[in-house]
Amino acid sequence: MSKTILEVVDLKKHFTHQRGIFSALQEKMRSIPAVDGVSFYLKENETVGLVGESGCGKTTIGRTILRLERPTSGKVIFDGRDITLLSTDELRGLRGRMQMIFQDLDAALNPKMRIRDILTEAIGVHHRLTDAETEKRIAELLDQVNLKKSKLTNFPHELSGGEKRRVGVARVLSVGAQFIVADEPTSALDVSIQAQVVNLLRDLQKRLGLTFLFISHDLRVVELMSHKVAVMYLGKIVEMGMSDKIARAPHHPYTHILWSSLTEKQSREVAKRAVSVQAGRWGVFDFERPAAGCRFAPRCPVYESKGRPAVCTEPATEPQLVELDGGHRVACHFPL
Amino acid sequence: MMAEPLLAIEDLRTYFYSRSKRAFIRSVDGVSLAVAKGETLGIVGESGSGKSITAMSVMGLVSAGPGVISGRIGFRSDRVERQLLEGLDTCVALRREGGRVMAVEKDDDRWAGQVEKNMTGIRGREISMIFQNPKQSLNPFETVGRQITEAIMLHTSHKIEQEAKEKAIEWLDRVKIDSPRLRFDNHPFGLSGGMCQRAMIAMALSCEPHLLIADEPTTGLDATIQSKIVDLLAELKSELGITTMLISHDIGIIGRLSDTVAVMYGGTVVESGPAKDVLSCSPEGKHPYTAALLASIPSSDAVREKGHLQAIEGDVLDTINIPAGCRFYGRCSRVTDKIREKCDKQEPDLREIASGRRVRCWLYFE
Amino acid sequence: MKSYSQQSGEIGEFSDLPFWKKANSVDLAYVTYGLLVVTLVIASYLLGAFKLLPHDPQDIDLELMMAPPLTPKHVLGTDFMGRDMLSRLVVGIQAYFLPGLLAIFIALFLGTILGVLAGYRGGKFDTVITYLTNLIDSFPRLVLILLVIAAFKPDIYVIMLVVGITNVPAVASLVKGKILFLKQKNFIEADIALGLPTGTIILKHILWHNCRSILIIQATLGMAEAILMETSLSYLGFGVQEPTPSWGNMVLAGSNYFMKGQFWPSTAPALAILFTILGFHLLGDGLNNILEGKRDK
Repeated sequence: MSKTILEVVDLKKHFTHQRGIFSALQEKMRSIPAVDGVSFYLKENETVGLVGESGCGKTTIGRTILRLERPTSGKVIFDGRDITLLSTDELRGLRGRMQMIFQDLDAALNPKMRIRDILTEAIGVHHRLTDAETEKRIAELLDQVNLKKSKLTNFPHELSGGEKRRVGVARVLSVGAQFIVADEPTSALDVSIQAQVVNLLRDLQKRLGLTFLFISHDLRVVELMSHKVAVMYLGKIVEMGMSDKIARAPHHPYTHILWSSLTEKQSREVAKRAVSVQAGRWGVFDFERPAAGCRFAPRCPVYESKGRPAVCTEPATEPQLVELDGGHRVACHFPL
Repeated sequence: MMAEPLLAIEDLRTYFYSRSKRAFIRSVDGVSLAVAKGETLGIVGESGSGKSITAMSVMGLVSAGPGVISGRIGFRSDRVERQLLEGLDTCVALRREGGRVMAVEKDDDRWAGQVEKNMTGIRGREISMIFQNPKQSLNPFETVGRQITEAIMLHTSHKIEQEAKEKAIEWLDRVKIDSPRLRFDNHPFGLSGGMCQRAMIAMALSCEPHLLIADEPTTGLDATIQSKIVDLLAELKSELGITTMLISHDIGIIGRLSDTVAVMYGGTVVESGPAKDVLSCSPEGKHPYTAALLASIPSSDAVREKGHLQAIEGDVLDTINIPAGCRFYGRCSRVTDKIREKCDKQEPDLREIASGRRVRCWLYFE
Repeated sequence: MKSYSQQSGEIGEFSDLPFWKKANSVDLAYVTYGLLVVTLVIASYLLGAFKLLPHDPQDIDLELMMAPPLTPKHVLGTDFMGRDMLSRLVVGIQAYFLPGLLAIFIALFLGTILGVLAGYRGGKFDTVITYLTNLIDSFPRLVLILLVIAAFKPDIYVIMLVVGITNVPAVASLVKGKILFLKQKNFIEADIALGLPTGTIILKHILWHNCRSILIIQATLGMAEAILMETSLSYLGFGVQEPTPSWGNMVLAGSNYFMKGQFWPSTAPALAILFTILGFHLLGDGLNNILEGKRDK
């Protein structure tokens, strides 16, 4: 059994809206729970996929894990140390081992620096190497991400989307990261390039033993990349389990609807299996988190078909993640 | 065979002159397409393939400084018949120095006037368009309902405000917006992305156009909302029988909604034909690009087996330095020794290889 | 119909060209003129500093009062006290050069610090700095300078100190805006995630790579501003005091004779002001277009 590399315990991140200096004095702040009590763990050399619609808090989780945001409460234990308690300097040392691939292709690339300088700088952050060693390391990185050497003298704006993504990955690898949060790494790319990047990431995982937290809204890519998948809805994980179970035998109505939105045969099979689910009013609502109870209830077809049972909307009974079988966990009163 | 085309695009070339590179960016480079009455034409392609610029050229939206258009776009409905690019070429002069185009001098005012003249009574009335970014395409300072009402009063015979308003509400209801009477008074920022797109669709259709151009109508929306929008478009299509030009990079959506499909690569159409043939799984009789594109989508089987995806190596074509030969040559995996020479040197034309199916590839020509 | 297709075979690697070949010729003309002015200003400063002048600017020649231009030995003529106009014009730069640099330095230095704090740290810093800069901005500058002069003394360095400080808000807001723009592109965040020290991120990635051109442009505009401000004050009699020549007090001294047809004692410095300020502004404008790529689409 491989060891746990990252554990997230009851992580919460609330954003406060503060309007001007006077509202701060009045203590009149609106708090928006972007992440509202999330727990999960990652084992070494494993990929966990995090899916959900935009605004469900999946990116915030990734950023909070790397402490680009400070969590409101909860623990993030990386390699035995709670990173929420570390000082900035201790954290900087740890950044050599945990990294993030940003959704934005240009994120890692200072527009005024050549690719060689970008990589040289990144290598220099956590390792003291001589010029010759740096040169060798750059060649190695280029080989790993399959990028032409001639691109080193280019500026970022001269690269195509796929090449930018490769440089981004090379930069992340250059510091020697073992754990990588990949935030929508393919969504800004064309279909044909997406496949290249997915293949690249999977190759790298095999070759370098990387651990990924793979955040995406593209269900097929997540399923392909991940060993386990966690489905998020409005700041909470509603279902979690092995990726093929999540895709083919979902228990939460939301997961079910997500996958059946794929316009492929596979989802039709699922649709047949649970005929009782009629997503009739689905998507017609502007959805907001209800005041109490299950977050998904206002959009939930099961809630509707069961005649709106009170248990779904009572404040005391917000469904918690319950283990069903073989590590599959779901937060629903009426799992499918 | 083919019904009378509503819109016929012939050899459309839309170039943008880049001053810093002293060269034309050939966004659309010789596109010929026809949209028959009542059918849905799906245009699929990656970013930079020129699919959106094609749509913009049709709508007369290529006005920004250095854009130049040539070719013919004929529009013909029972109300109007017109050439949409009439007289635009007289507004542009090229200045050359040493065999190289050094500058494009464009009489912007005359160009704009000419476009206006060509598009009067067409834009909004005959052809309407929905965009990728519904929130940004709606006026943020007006209620959704008012915007639709205005469009109706401007373009249809409903000139009385109350009547137009009723019509607008009817359309909001028709695109399945919940409680349309309430939503009528919402501003765009009060609506979710999916709702805004529905409102856009309502606005586009409320003028009862002959042609609807949908440019990436689902991109940027969440997966669940996407499929709902696609459902809605499919339903409206069967209900109204409106002619549609659907542009998307998402083959799934194109496959669900289109009758005929055109695949674009590097500013040209590389393949066109009935949707079921072009998007079928077998690579037989397909342009290598189409085949590779289809193969690179994670299919359910590939996902289940956790196998490698079949990526297309290389990068999307640079539309400035277009090679002399086939545009896909550098990335093509199906080049045989017999045709290699030709692929490298000479660009194939779009030829009919079976009824209704055209391919731009030496593989299928003798 | 005309086809553009035949135009396309002729493409070179234009992105490799140096910036002056890619730049608009108008911008190049602006910058050339601006650089010429800067060179002249620096040369004049050096000439004045080392006293390499045709005449002593303080040398009163009562025989040759109000000599018109092109008088032998006095190319630009003399003023009402028979002092050589050309020498006085050249020496007049002394009044602006170092004080102007001081004003620029203060504006850039404080403005950059405040801009970085407001943009990079944000939050409370941003709020406080915004209020502060608004406060500075809301004072009429001339009134502020007159107040300071009244409280201390009409010294050009004191005036330039005030000019510098009143220019801080403009620089701060530019730097802050640039940082917010960069933050939007996420690469600052990527730098943090990479583990780069904050100093490197701010100094190298933000200021050196991405703000240097706007700072240079601000510096040229700041110089123009300083000259203009001194001139206005001198004309009002608050700037550099006679007998030390400055262009402003030269215009003032000459203006009494303007209506009598003896135009040169006021016109020469006025033209010098005009062309110098124009030069700095055009330089700033041209640099802005070339370095920041405003004109090129």
